[in-house]
Amino acid sequence: MRTLTIFLIAVALSGTRAFAASDQTVVVGSKRFNEGYILAEIIAQVLEDRGFRVERRFGLGGTLICFEALTNGNIDVYPEYSGTLAEAILRLPRRVSYAELRDIVKQRFDVDLLDAFGFSNTYAIALDRGLAEQRGLQRISDLARHPDLRFGFSHEFLNRHDGWPGLARAYELAVRPVGVEHGLAYKAIRESKLDVTDVYSTDGDIAKFNLFLLEDDKHYFPQYLAAPLVRAAADGRIKEILDELAGAITDDQIRELNAMVVVEGTSFAAAAHHFLSGAGLLTSGRPHVEKNKWTILVSRTGTHLKLTLVALVAGMIVAIPCGILAYRIRAISRPVMYVAGLLQTIPSIALLAFMIPLFGIGAKPAIAALFLYSLLPILRNTAAALYSIDPVLKKVSVGIGMTAWQRLRYVELPLAAPTILAGVKTAAVINIGTATLAAFIGAGGLGEPIVTGLALNDTSLILEGAVPAALLAILTEWAFEGLEKLMIPAHLLQKPAE
Amino acid sequence: MAQITLENISKFYGDQQALDDIDLTFTDDVTTAVVGPSGSGKSTLLQLINGLEIPSRGTALVFGKPIDYQRLPELRLRLGYAVQGVGLFPHLTVEANITLLARLAKWDPERIKARAGELMKLVTLPPAYMERYPHELSGGEQQRVGLCRAMMLNPQVLLLDEPFGALDPMTRTEVQREFLHLQRSEARTVVLVTHDLREALKLAERLVVLDRGRLLQHGTRDEILENPAHGFVRSFFQSQLED
Repeated sequence: MRTLTIFLIAVALSGTRAFAASDQTVVVGSKRFNEGYILAEIIAQVLEDRGFRVERRFGLGGTLICFEALTNGNIDVYPEYSGTLAEAILRLPRRVSYAELRDIVKQRFDVDLLDAFGFSNTYAIALDRGLAEQRGLQRISDLARHPDLRFGFSHEFLNRHDGWPGLARAYELAVRPVGVEHGLAYKAIRESKLDVTDVYSTDGDIAKFNLFLLEDDKHYFPQYLAAPLVRAAADGRIKEILDELAGAITDDQIRELNAMVVVEGTSFAAAAHHFLSGAGLLTSGRPHVEKNKWTILVSRTGTHLKLTLVALVAGMIVAIPCGILAYRIRAISRPVMYVAGLLQTIPSIALLAFMIPLFGIGAKPAIAALFLYSLLPILRNTAAALYSIDPVLKKVSVGIGMTAWQRLRYVELPLAAPTILAGVKTAAVINIGTATLAAFIGAGGLGEPIVTGLALNDTSLILEGAVPAALLAILTEWAFEGLEKLMIPAHLLQKPAE
Repeated sequence: MAQITLENISKFYGDQQALDDIDLTFTDDVTTAVVGPSGSGKSTLLQLINGLEIPSRGTALVFGKPIDYQRLPELRLRLGYAVQGVGLFPHLTVEANITLLARLAKWDPERIKARAGELMKLVTLPPAYMERYPHELSGGEQQRVGLCRAMMLNPQVLLLDEPFGALDPMTRTEVQREFLHLQRSEARTVVLVTHDLREALKLAERLVVLDRGRLLQHGTRDEILENPAHGFVRSFFQSQLED
């Protein structure tokens, strides 16, 4: 008894990560947009350099998912912006200083906002560098003296209360801007069809299009200072190490890193390594080694299959008996079907999000969501197959003296098997598709490049996930066909219409 | 004590009366045919014996005891049962269909094999058919397999519900001959429901005549043919046997 108790305590302790720093795994998260990935990589590589094992949970669905994952202890650290923290998470009614912000998150959420990396990613007003030099434009207030310039802003900026309307008031600008699609504005400026537009101050395209950012001399735009956000309960050494990054990244540097990724197609890891080694922040001097693409593909496919398979098997274990019960007990048949049907109508992203408070982020909530999705096809096919068995056969099996269990085992289930198997196949294929969305909550798999590709608007990256996922779905279909041939006498299978 | 006795049984489906105060003892070790027009309650009467139907009033006694409706599978194993449309299990081979109950009853494999072979021989099915699936057999062959399955456990009682109904006349004659052959080699109490009076007269020693749920006459074939107890029985026989 005593050894058992000690063993249980040891198991419990191992779950709380109460080990020495060198053995300890730090879970680093990131939101799903390029700068978020790069900053998270920088954090991850610095920690790895100092001997931590790092688990990357990048590309999490959004601000709230990241923040909840952090407060739940699913991740230890992720890069966040001061402005986002104040507006989206804390919903503060007024502007607060960085120090105040730090106190508030510490008190309310037990989270440490470390010193900022140095740059601010906020709205900025940009124009062609040549034009700026020619007219001698330095600050936004200079614009008031050049009413002939053509202004074009993204629709969001035009309509946000902290966008153009406020800016025009603050700087007393009397021009009438037009609305332009953000992606097209840069091109329009290069072709001299437009002079002034709004940009994100760290946008990698700024250098590519040779744009000049005007100084916000009246401090109209709120600061979006990027900084590591760390669980207060996390190892103190993590904070010490990450403090070395304080003020280490300038606006120009982050713009360059963003450009490396967006324009040149460098990987996040390589860009982060480029910065860290350039800044002399790496102690071990290990060169960055890009992982082999195929190794990555195999490991992603493995993760994907694991998510799908575990959910599918769990789905079968629950749905087949429930289908049998629904068939045997008429009274529960409808309620069971309705509940399963209802689950199916919940959009996948929403279902995944609902799982986070229950299971955190990572594989568990993804498996839970996929499990729920696999219930209906299996359940419905099981019940329908059992209902549709020839009544003569049912009567005979009763009449010749088989018990309820024997009828189920030797007559009803074997006759229902083709349809049940078809239900399992449907669930499997649905799961393979839906599992690509699981990357939003940090479960990895083939959805990872899709999510990243969506964030970067990079079609080839999206295809890196989408093509293997589609192939996997087709292979699954084939595998089930093979299984049918093995398990079920040919004359019981429905042949496709000629 | 006779093997099958129905005591004052009435059966209602809602307001509909299917059987009206049936009081009847089947004679052991002979074939009794239950005849009557459709809707007369023939199948219901048969299904009272193996508990597929539960009487609204009265008692069904099988093997000398009132049926224990909590332990029907046990009883049914002692009552062979075959129906119209055969009801062979399509996912099982002929052999698996015939031997299913014996395997569930954990018979010795040797004994199973011997009994199945013996039955196949009795109904003149080639041994090679053992491995086939029901859909590969003709209707008459399937019907014979159905009989073999019903008799696998060598039940003392055989309940047959229109077992030859779906067969063409040629095949039916053949299967009927097999049945008589079987009955001579392994005599047992048989209750045969049929709408075909010629079949009844050919296969059964005794007849039960039903009309609209009432028992009109019960007796040997000759008794009934010579002394129809009721106007309906006479006209039923005339209409059936004329053409």
